[in-house]
Amino acid sequence: MTTAAVVVRRRLLPSGGFARFVLRRLVALVFLSLGITFVAFVLTELVPSNAVATNLGEQAAGDPAAVAAFKHHYGLDKPFPVRYAIYLDHLVHGDLGQSTLTHGPVTHDLAQFIPATGELALYSILFASIVGIGFGVIAALRRNRPTDHVLRVASLAGISMPTFWIALVALYVGFFRLGWFPGAERLDPGTNPPPSITGMYTIDALLAGNWGLFVQALHHLILPALVLAAFNVSLLTRFTRSAVLEVIGNDYVRAARAKGLPERTVVLRYIVRGALPSVVTVLGLVFANVLTGAVLVEKIFSWPGIGQYAFQAAVNVDVPAIAGVSLFVAVVYITVNFVVDILYGLIDPRIRIT
Amino acid sequence: MSLLEVEGLRVRLPTTRGLVTVVDGVDYAVEHGEVFGVAGESGSGKTMSMLSLLGLLPDGAVVEGSVRFGEHDLLRMPRRRLREVAGRELAMVFQDPLTSLHPMLSIGRQLTEHVRLHLGLGRRDAERHALASLTDVRIPDPASALRAFPHQFSGGMRQRIAIAIALACRPKLLIADEPTTALDVTVQAGILRLLDRLRRENDLSVVLITHDLGVMSAIADRVSIFYAGKVVEAGSCEAVLSTPRHPYTRALLDALPHPEGLQDKPLVAIAGAPPSPGAIPSGCSFHPRCAYAQESCLHHVPPLVAMGDRLLACPIDPLVER
Amino acid sequence: MSELALPRRAPRFHWLKASRRQPLAVIGATIALTWIVIAVFAPLIAPYGSLAQTFTPAQSPSLHHLFGTDELGRDVLSRVIYGSRVSIPIALLLVALASSIGCVVGAIAGYFRGLVDGALMRAVDLFFAFPPIILAMVVAAVLGRGLQNAALAIVVVAWPSYARVVRGLVLSVGDSEFVQSARLMGTPARRALFRDVLPNVAGPVIVLATLDLANAILLLSGLSFLGLGAQPPQAEWGSMVADGTQYFQWWWMGTFPGLAIFTVVLAFNFLGDSLRDVLDPRTAWRSSEEQA
Repeated sequence: MTTAAVVVRRRLLPSGGFARFVLRRLVALVFLSLGITFVAFVLTELVPSNAVATNLGEQAAGDPAAVAAFKHHYGLDKPFPVRYAIYLDHLVHGDLGQSTLTHGPVTHDLAQFIPATGELALYSILFASIVGIGFGVIAALRRNRPTDHVLRVASLAGISMPTFWIALVALYVGFFRLGWFPGAERLDPGTNPPPSITGMYTIDALLAGNWGLFVQALHHLILPALVLAAFNVSLLTRFTRSAVLEVIGNDYVRAARAKGLPERTVVLRYIVRGALPSVVTVLGLVFANVLTGAVLVEKIFSWPGIGQYAFQAAVNVDVPAIAGVSLFVAVVYITVNFVVDILYGLIDPRIRIT
Repeated sequence: MSLLEVEGLRVRLPTTRGLVTVVDGVDYAVEHGEVFGVAGESGSGKTMSMLSLLGLLPDGAVVEGSVRFGEHDLLRMPRRRLREVAGRELAMVFQDPLTSLHPMLSIGRQLTEHVRLHLGLGRRDAERHALASLTDVRIPDPASALRAFPHQFSGGMRQRIAIAIALACRPKLLIADEPTTALDVTVQAGILRLLDRLRRENDLSVVLITHDLGVMSAIADRVSIFYAGKVVEAGSCEAVLSTPRHPYTRALLDALPHPEGLQDKPLVAIAGAPPSPGAIPSGCSFHPRCAYAQESCLHHVPPLVAMGDRLLACPIDPLVER
Repeated sequence: MSELALPRRAPRFHWLKASRRQPLAVIGATIALTWIVIAVFAPLIAPYGSLAQTFTPAQSPSLHHLFGTDELGRDVLSRVIYGSRVSIPIALLLVALASSIGCVVGAIAGYFRGLVDGALMRAVDLFFAFPPIILAMVVAAVLGRGLQNAALAIVVVAWPSYARVVRGLVLSVGDSEFVQSARLMGTPARRALFRDVLPNVAGPVIVLATLDLANAILLLSGLSFLGLGAQPPQAEWGSMVADGTQYFQWWWMGTFPGLAIFTVVLAFNFLGDSLRDVLDPRTAWRSSEEQA
C-alpha cells in the first residue's frame, strides 16, 4: 500500500515555528520602538526654540539657578548621546517633558486626551469593520452584477471624499438643518462626565449604571464616529471584496456545497473564514486612517482628543507635546501591526502549525 | 432501473459573448454498483455535466434535459432540497486535494459537519463516525488526524481524506472528477484501488471522470467518450477501449503510450485542438480533425445510435472490423 | 500594495479596448483632464478674480455667482477655479518627486540586497511607523506653517511606499525564470534591468502613483484645512472648506470647494483602480475571459 510512505506530522499545539515567528516580530517591534524614540528625541533637539524660556516661563528664565537646574534635569549641558540616554531614562519613568502650551507634563496631557480619541476610534472601527466587511462579502458574492458595480463606485467615492468635508456636510445636515445630533463636544454643556475609570464616557457611564448619560454620550459619538468611519468602510469593502474573490473560486467552496451544507454555512464558514486572514492584515491601515481622520474630525466637532492636542501643539510649535504625541501614536501603531501579525497567525493554522 | 438516468442534458454557460453551449444533449445511465467512466479532453463538457447534477454551475448557467437519480428529479428540485440530496445520497470528489479541503478548518470539522447535518448525529457520534470513515480510507492514526489540518498531510493522504468526507454519509453515487490527476503516479494506483474496494464494500456507484484512458481501463465497467459536449461513443469498457470504432476514441487511444504495445507503432498526437465552446464546427464536431471525414460529415450531426455492442455517433463507422 | 500581482510581461495597453471594458477609467480621465484644462486656463475661465472682495458678502448661489460669495464678498466659483492651480500642480510635482526617490531607494535595496537592503528597509519601516498626518504636523511644527512645508511633509510620507513596492518587484523579477534565463544567456545585468525589470516595475508604480495623486490632494487639502498648509488669502480648496466651517449657515462656502476636491480625487481613484484591474485581472470588476 502507498499509505506506508506517508507520515502524518503530529504537531497540534502551537509549535516552535510559531513561537519563533512571534519572537522575531517582537524583537523587530522593540528595535522599531527604539528607532521611534530616537526620531522623537531628534525632533526635540532639532527645533531652535528657547526651551528654557518656554518651559520655565519668563520669570524663572531670569533666575540662573533655576535655569541651571532645568538644564541639568534635561541634560542640556551634556553631549548628544548622553542627552539621548537621559531622554530614554526620562521616558522609562514616564517623563516626556513639559508642554509649552498647557504647562503640564506631556504624559499627563496624553492621559487626559487619549481616552476621548480612543472612544471615537473604537466605535468608528467597530462600525467600519462590520459594515465594510459585510459590503465586501456582498460585492464579491454578487460579482459583476449591479450591486457589485454600485458598491465599487460607492467605495471609490468613499475614499475620495475629504473627511473634513464629509464632517462639514454631516454637521450641516444632521445638526444645523435637522437638529438630530449635537454639534460638538462629548456631552451636552453643563453635564458632568461619569466617574473616570477608562476615560471613555460610554463605558464609564455603563459602569456607573447611568443609562441616561450613556445614551447622551453615544448620541454625541454617532456623528463624528460615522464620519470617521466613511473612509475605512470603503477601504474594507474593497479589500474584503478582493479577499473573498481569491477564496470563492476555490474547490473547497464547491466541495462544501457538494457536501450539501446550507448556503449560509458555506458563505460564513468557508468563504468568509477563508478570506479573513487577508482582511485582518489591513486593520493596521484602518487604524492609521482613523488617526489621520481623528485630527480633522476632532477639530470640526470640538472633540477634546489627542488629534486636537497634536494640532494645537503643531500650530503653537509646542515641540515636547508634538514629539510626545508622535512617539505615542507611532508606538501604538506598530503595536497594532504586531497584534495584527499575531492574529493572522492565530487565524490561519498554516502559519500557526508548521 | 438504473440509479442515475441522464437524458438530453444541455448546459449553457454565460460569457461575455452570451450563452455558450458546453454540454449539448447528453444521455447516459449509471447502474447500481458500477464504475461508470467518462472520458474526453479538457473542455469536452465532462466536468460541467457533472456539476450540473449537483447544482454547482456558475450563476446564470442554463440547464435543460432531465436527470433522474433514484426517485429524485435533480434538475427540477428546489435548491434547498437538492442540497439535502447532495452530500447525503450523491457525493463528489474533486481533482486537486490541495484546494478541495478548507485550509483553516480541522479534518474533524470537515468530516463531521455534514454528517451531523444529514444524519442528525450528535457531536460524539459524529466523531466516532468520522474515525470509522478515516480508518476506512486507511489514514494512519485517525484519532490525531481528526484534530489536524489539511496542510499537515501529503497530496495522496488529502485525497483519501476528501474521499472519506464524500463517503461519510454513505451516498449511493460518488462522482469522482479526475481524482488522481493531481497526484504522483505512485499514489494514483492506491487511490484507484481504494475507490474500487469502497464501491464493492458499500454497494456504491462511481462516476469516474478522467482524460486518462489508462486509469479508465483499470477500474471502469462502462464508459462514455465525450467530445465537444456530446457523447461520441459509449459501451462496455472492454469493447470501447479494445476495439474503438469512433475515430476520436481511436485517436485518444493512439495518443496513449502503450508499454506493452508494438515497438514500431508510433505515438500519434491528435491533429488540431479541441474546439472551444461557442465555436463548435458544423455537422460532426470532430470532422476538422478526423482522418476519415467525408462531405456528409460537414453537414449532418451524427446521432448516437446502437451499433452492435455499443452506442456510436459516426455513421461512416470506418473502423468496424467487417 | 500587496494586491499588485506581478505580470510576466508588462501588458500592452489598448486604449479602445480598455475604454469599453473600463468605463470608470474613461470617466476618470475625462474629469482629470477637465480639471487640468481649468487649472491651465483659470484666468480665462474664472468670471472674477480670486481675491477681489468686490461683491456683497455671503450671497447664496445665483446666476451672477453660481457658487455664491463668501464672507468677504469674494466669488466662490472663481476661487474654486483658481484653487485648481494650487492642488493639482503641487500634487503632480509631489508624486513625481516621491516616486522618484522611492523608486531609486527601492531599486537600490532590491538590486544590492543584503546589508544595503536591510538598512534601507528598516529606515522605510521607521517612516511607516508614523501615520502620515502626524509626520506632516511634525514637519509643520519644525519648519513652520505654509504650503511649501506641507508639500515637503507629503513627500516625506509618500516615498517609502514606492521604495517598498519597487524593492519587492525588483527582488521577485530578479528571481523570476525569465531574468534568470537571461542571466544564464549572458545578458549584461544592466540590460536585463532595463529590458526585463523596468517594464514589470513600471505598471505597479504607475498604478501606485495614480492612486497617490488622489491621496496627496486629500492630505494637502487636509493640512490646509487645519491651517498648516496654504495661508489666507490664497484660494486653496482645503482652507476654503475651513472657512466654510466658520460660517455654517452659508453652506455654499464649504460645500463647493469640497466638491472640487472630491471630483479630482475621485478621478484619480477611478483611473488608478481601473489601471490596477488591467494589470491584475484576477479580482477585477468585469466579467470575461474566465471559464471556458
